[in-house]
Amino acid sequence: MVKNIAAHKSDLLPGTLEMLILKTLDRNDEPMHGYGIALYIKQISRDVLRVEEGSLYPALQRLAIKGLISGAWRDSETGRRARYYKLTAAGRKQLIEEVAGFEKVLEAILRVVQPA
Amino acid sequence: MKRIAELFRRIFHLRQRSEFGAGLAEEMQHHLALKTYENIREGMSEKEARYAAQREFGNVTLLNEDSRSEWNFRWVEHFLQDVRYGVRMLRKSPGFTAVAVLTLALGIGANTAIFSLVNGVLLRPLPFAQPGRLVAITDVFPQGAFVAMPSRLKSMDVGAYLDGAEFNLTGRGEASRLYGTSVSADFFSVLGARPAMGRVFVAGEDHPGQDNVVILSHELWQKEFGSDPNLIGQSVSLDGTDRQIVGVMPPDFQFPSQKTQLWVPLHLDPRNVGSYWGGGFMPIIGRLRDGVTLVQAHSELRAALPQFRVLFPWKMPDALWSGASVTSLQEKITGDVQTKLYVLLGAICLVLLIACANVANLLLSRGVTRQREMAVRAALGADRRRILQQLLTESGLLATCGAALGILFAINGLKWLKVILPADTPRLGSITIDWRVLAFTASVALSTGIISGLAPALYAAKTNLTESLTKGGQRSGSMGSSHRMRSALAVAEITFAFILVIGAGLLVKSLWELFRVNPGFQTESIITARVTPNSSFCAVPARCQNFYDELTDRVRATPGVNDAALVNVLPLDGRIDAFAADVEDHPRNPSDPAPVLFETLITPNYLHVMSIPLLRGRALAPADYAPDAVSVALVTASTAEKYWPKQNPIGKHVRRTFVKDWTTIVGVVGDVHEENLAERFPDFIDGAIYAPYGVHQASGRPRPKDLTLVLRVSNNHMNYAQTLQQIVAGLNPEAPVSEVETLRGVVTKSASEPRSTVLLFAVFAALALTLAAIGIYGVISYSVTQRRPEIGMRMALGAQWQDIVRMVVGHGARLALIGIAIGIAVAFALTRLMKSLLFGVSATDPITFIAVSVLLILVAVAACYIPARRAMRVDPMVALRHD
Repeated sequence: MVKNIAAHKSDLLPGTLEMLILKTLDRNDEPMHGYGIALYIKQISRDVLRVEEGSLYPALQRLAIKGLISGAWRDSETGRRARYYKLTAAGRKQLIEEVAGFEKVLEAILRVVQPA
Repeated sequence: MKRIAELFRRIFHLRQRSEFGAGLAEEMQHHLALKTYENIREGMSEKEARYAAQREFGNVTLLNEDSRSEWNFRWVEHFLQDVRYGVRMLRKSPGFTAVAVLTLALGIGANTAIFSLVNGVLLRPLPFAQPGRLVAITDVFPQGAFVAMPSRLKSMDVGAYLDGAEFNLTGRGEASRLYGTSVSADFFSVLGARPAMGRVFVAGEDHPGQDNVVILSHELWQKEFGSDPNLIGQSVSLDGTDRQIVGVMPPDFQFPSQKTQLWVPLHLDPRNVGSYWGGGFMPIIGRLRDGVTLVQAHSELRAALPQFRVLFPWKMPDALWSGASVTSLQEKITGDVQTKLYVLLGAICLVLLIACANVANLLLSRGVTRQREMAVRAALGADRRRILQQLLTESGLLATCGAALGILFAINGLKWLKVILPADTPRLGSITIDWRVLAFTASVALSTGIISGLAPALYAAKTNLTESLTKGGQRSGSMGSSHRMRSALAVAEITFAFILVIGAGLLVKSLWELFRVNPGFQTESIITARVTPNSSFCAVPARCQNFYDELTDRVRATPGVNDAALVNVLPLDGRIDAFAADVEDHPRNPSDPAPVLFETLITPNYLHVMSIPLLRGRALAPADYAPDAVSVALVTASTAEKYWPKQNPIGKHVRRTFVKDWTTIVGVVGDVHEENLAERFPDFIDGAIYAPYGVHQASGRPRPKDLTLVLRVSNNHMNYAQTLQQIVAGLNPEAPVSEVETLRGVVTKSASEPRSTVLLFAVFAALALTLAAIGIYGVISYSVTQRRPEIGMRMALGAQWQDIVRMVVGHGARLALIGIAIGIAVAFALTRLMKSLLFGVSATDPITFIAVSVLLILVAVAACYIPARRAMRVDPMVALRHD
């Protein structure tokens, strides 16, 4: 039940958030904390993609469980402690696969919506 | 691999859950702090900024929870929570819990006990090395054929055994009688059995001159030899012959049966043609050689059988061994009891189903009263699956407690089972509660929990929220469907109980018919005892004869004894003495089997003591016992009818095959049941004669040394064992007296197999009937409670108490009738399966079916008695005001 509520709040296609996180970590060489990831996605997409902040952390947990990202505690710019995530080798592989799959779907959708 | 890695991560996480949880909270707090900071930078006040950040983020606790559920087994947590809650609920209503647990414990316990029987006898592998490779040949073979087997059978190693070798153990205090088995030298190595002490027999020990060795059972070693650790190598006197004790077997070695106290080697002597080719025919066991299948061994045996047949020094009938085949040893040992055990298991499963239905009924009534609780839970956000899971956990808890208690019942039940089952039940000793039984019990408990809990849980989970919360709570919701379900359960209980009681009824009637059978002799006031002098003592025939003559005289002179006689084989005691015969007027083709006649050797007063009637001709006269007398005999009525129908059998002749002189028939006597109460003889016996004990030269008859004494006494209850012991010891201290028993006892014992089945079935049926009665009582009394306003209304409108009773009892009777109608249909189909257990009764015996139907209606009506009385006492005023 509780899980469902979280899913409803997401404006993204299911599964896209995880891909975005992986891509974000891939583009940035330095490990990032959750807030940084959310901010980055928002900025890069020119405010179009707004990461539902509540669902970000469950997604990070999921990725960590699958071994696609790894997290380590570090002091942040605020002086508080935060978990900084970075991509693992398995995560990089997964990202390539997902992007390929995503591009295929996107291409298909574009072909349908574009005027002939 | 990936999955395993993930599982480990999860398990690791489950352990450190709180630490990670704290980390997660910290991480989220960090996020909020940054967000708030940014908001402030954009111009909000601090309070506003924090509030906006939180709003955007959502409920931290909830998300915390959500995020964490990625990590841990949520269902484990839920399950533990349900268990805790279930325990609390069950403890809150101890009456309900006790009844439900007890009902399930009875059902599960009885199932466990019967399953451990099935497991120990049928399922558990034999306690030998590589039991799957052990086979048996389904026929019997003489020594000569067995000796020829190894050179002709390449697919297996064979061993032979002959059960029923009895010995006098003398020289160690009072002489005693031991029961043993003669085995070939390689018998133990074929089985792959190792001794607990000493060694097993070695090659050659089954040959004359090397065979004075013996191996003891563990039980005999303890009982007679005081568990002497230095026994190996010592000598012991068996039947007047010294044998060296070479080994003691472990306690679990009980082959061919737990009766076996010792093993001696066979005496394979080709010079003694009679015993080598015509003596005791033996069952053969074998161990398949590597890579050989059962089918291959079977075809090899079938091909070799004609070669064995021509080895006989005389022509054997072509039909010899026509049915011989190779089967697994386990199947051969347990084949006879399979049907019985599976029928018992089926019956006890029905009892369990009734128990389940009863508990389901209890849960349903509770479900109705708990509707409000369920509604509240649903309102608080529990979905249907969650409620179902919780209710099933509760019934599972009941079943688990029931199983725990049931195992205690089963342990005690097994002790009782072992007492009432006949001692020669195969593998009786190996019946224990082992891991298989426990696994069985666990799965039974699990399914019991689901079966009894599912219907009530589905019903409860269906609860209509608004209705339950707004209405009175206790009695609202879809009452009709609950009532239908409860009635259906009661009907099912009656159906199952009906089937069981029918089974028990048929078996009881069979037993009754069995004991109504006239065995052909008088069973009252007769004491029997086996007297067994040593072979060496009877090697001098005159000495043996004198011993028995003197014994008869002395016993007859004992106060309380009216008459006494001796016989070689007492009816119904399990022994057989028979010979292949030529019968006058029945010339025989040498390739046909010879008739086999049962031979009873008797002393002069035997027929009189046993009250076996003489129908024609004359009885045996004292002159017939003279050493130089002409050989004469009596035949039984059915034998005379079979061989000389509508002729006078007096003056006809029979003789042993290969003996020149004929024996003349001088009289006809009544038929006697020798085998058991159902069958007069085993199927290979064609007829029976009585001949005088003592004459042996002319008839070619070997003189048996072991006889049974039968005494007609005036006081049945006196203990004759000691008196007889003293008399025999006075004449021959090396001759033990064994099997002292009343003839009535011998007859009863011969039916111990069917009796045990009947007893078990009757217990099951009684259990089923009680549970079903409780079930009906539950349904009716619940419905009376529900209908109180209605009953009050009826009374207020002028209904008499008779009307009310009729209404209540009619309800119960209606349920019973439906159950019985279904039961009759099912029982008609099922009782056929137990046909082989029945005697003198058809599987669809109308009297039994009618009687059991009436019985069940009576039980149903009786179960309605208390609710009906309660209904009668309803005070219209109170009932109407109640709502």
